[in-house]
Amino acid sequence: MSLIRVLHAETLKLKRTLAFRMIFVAPLLVAALQFMVVWNQRRPGADFNLWEMISKASLSIWAVFMLPLLITLETALINGVEHGEKQWKHIFALPVPRHAVYAAKFLTALALAAASTLILCALIVVVGLALIRLRPDLPHAGAIPFVWILKHAAFVWLASWLIIAIHIWVSVRWQGFALALGAGISGTFFAIFAAAARVGKYYPWLLPVNVFMEERFTMALLLGAVGGLIAAVIGCVEFVRRDVV
Amino acid sequence: MQKYAVETCGLTRRFGAQLAVDDLNLLAPEGGVYGFLGPNGAGKTTTIRMLLGLIRPDAGEVRLFGAPLAADRLSLMRMAGALVESPSLYPHLTGRENLEVTRRLLGAPRGLIDDALGVVKLAQDANRRVREYSTGMRQRLGLALALLNKPRLLVLDEPTNGLDPAGIHEMRDLIRRLPVEFGATVFLSSHLLSEVEQIAGHIGIIHQGRLLFQGTLAELQAQRREHLVVGVKQSEQAMRCLGAAGWGAQRRDDGLLAVSAATPDAAARINSLLVSQGMEVFHIALAQASLEDIFLTLTGGRNETRRAA
Repeated sequence: MSLIRVLHAETLKLKRTLAFRMIFVAPLLVAALQFMVVWNQRRPGADFNLWEMISKASLSIWAVFMLPLLITLETALINGVEHGEKQWKHIFALPVPRHAVYAAKFLTALALAAASTLILCALIVVVGLALIRLRPDLPHAGAIPFVWILKHAAFVWLASWLIIAIHIWVSVRWQGFALALGAGISGTFFAIFAAAARVGKYYPWLLPVNVFMEERFTMALLLGAVGGLIAAVIGCVEFVRRDVV
Repeated sequence: MQKYAVETCGLTRRFGAQLAVDDLNLLAPEGGVYGFLGPNGAGKTTTIRMLLGLIRPDAGEVRLFGAPLAADRLSLMRMAGALVESPSLYPHLTGRENLEVTRRLLGAPRGLIDDALGVVKLAQDANRRVREYSTGMRQRLGLALALLNKPRLLVLDEPTNGLDPAGIHEMRDLIRRLPVEFGATVFLSSHLLSEVEQIAGHIGIIHQGRLLFQGTLAELQAQRREHLVVGVKQSEQAMRCLGAAGWGAQRRDDGLLAVSAATPDAAARINSLLVSQGMEVFHIALAQASLEDIFLTLTGGRNETRRAA
């Protein structure tokens, strides 16, 4: 019950925020990029498949780069509003259990990531249809792979829970954007090096993109989603015990 | 039997090696304004944070309306409202939306928002963003957040901090009305005696984490009169001499001595004692009612009893 009350309050706090606008901006950037890439394709090869290309490429860029950065930004923003005027002390003096406050932050971040990923799915379809119309010279594209897109979008999202849990904890724990952004950017940056290494299988920032690799798929989902939930619980326990000064 | 809205027993809290609050026993009776007085850094905010369950005491316990806070914080917090230090507002939301956030967290009825806006006289500006609010308006909105749930206990930490004289006056009027109109108990902290004096019926004075005085305003005023300020060129010698004669004496920042005595008779005796010892007295007067003097009298008085014991 109290969790629903806190979530209800969270939705109002998003009003007029960058956090809300970013769930549209981030997928738009990826879709626009994808559109440009295909638009500039001079001579597509015989095996060119429009739908496969734009859905796979868009979701991969999303998974490896844009989603982790979006998570960094969203968590820093939704927790940043509580640090600005020390809102924690007000919230914790209300008859609301602290674990509900933490859970609501985590769920809000999950929902924002889900919403943004869904918007990307819709934009992939829009970009595909636009390209079919604007580039009639491209090979016949076939049916829209709705199921493939939605299924893989869901995998990417599930595998990103661990990053979300880490970022919620970091941005709740320390105020100011610098540390939260630093963690997100270095996490994404080191992913470039970790990708080829064996450790890449377990590296949190690579898990979303690992769902596209057969040998890493299971670990990505398990560590991402289940590990994310466990990390969120650990973060919550730490949060509940802390002094609010 | 007297009922207490706030009661602490042996409340203690350290930060590292520093003892921020030391064995504090507060008793704030229900249905009035309790002024919690002390200089900055005395432990007021730490105490208030413990009253609200924001930080945990190292020892001792907090009771609100007779019930231990540690056992059932959530249901006790339903009866309390708080404004700790500066108000916690979301600048990108309007005044009304800020109240709505807290209303949702409380699960309280919608009608309470207009009531609270009315009490703090913000109905006119409710739909403006808080970013555009003046300090006084922000402080009033902070009070509205604390009042939203019609609390039986209102905890206000330095509510007039940063306000201009008109704002202070307005806030003071508001606080004074609360016990009368809503039957609420107000627990108010301040570093200004003059402020507390005008609204509080009961007063607790905290200094270096310890409670120096607790009682009614009348009792405090009685303490305050027993206080002389003495100026002597040989102040070290005078302190020893007065101490030996049984008067507690403390040196103030300005070099004058605060002596825990205040009858004309005592003033005359102190004067002749010091002069007879060859000291040069250039000032003897009744103390002005500054908080610093009260502290000195109170700490001086305590030293005296310790010596007597």
